[in-house]
Amino acid sequence: MNHTLVTVVAAVLSGIGVLVSLTGAVGLIRMPDLYTRIQCSSKTVTLGVIPTLLGLAIAEGAVTAYGGRALLITLMLLVLNPAASHALARASYKAGVPMWRGSVSDEPRQEEAQHG
Amino acid sequence: MLQDILIAVCIAQICIVGLLLVRVALGPSVGDRIVGLNMITTQSAIAVLFYAAFAQRTFYCDIALWIASFSYLGTFVWSRFLERGLL
Repeated sequence: MNHTLVTVVAAVLSGIGVLVSLTGAVGLIRMPDLYTRIQCSSKTVTLGVIPTLLGLAIAEGAVTAYGGRALLITLMLLVLNPAASHALARASYKAGVPMWRGSVSDEPRQEEAQHG
Repeated sequence: MLQDILIAVCIAQICIVGLLLVRVALGPSVGDRIVGLNMITTQSAIAVLFYAAFAQRTFYCDIALWIASFSYLGTFVWSRFLERGLL
């Protein structure tokens, strides 16, 4: 009974994670612009990896080799993924990658126009 | 039953990697390709970890850890190159 419950919980968590990752992949293909694609990538990686690896940690136990590595990768992604997305967006903005023509806000350029 | 779930998640992540390869092939700028590769390495690290738990191979876990950590190092290096050039 307990084993069945653990399996069901792991399956549900992994299913949620895979579905969120799938929406991230579709968004990465469909979005019109580099910055919107970065947004899709960073949010869905964070929200898709955490349930999937928590499912693995619950299925295998948190102190085994697999569950421990899963929790370690989760912590590492929580720290590294926003930093990497921010660095890439900043570098692309400075390199002059154009925004989508439907974009409504370009705050660094507006501040530069205000303050000279 | 648990083994079926593990291999199913692994195959699903590999299918997601196949979808992301479309963006890596199409992407008009370098940044698009970097975003696609970043997400591909994360999903493949998860796929390797789930395959390790499926096949009961402990040392595949370390490969997943290496993939997950060094892909972000690659993203940082690429964005530094885009921002400042070679030096």
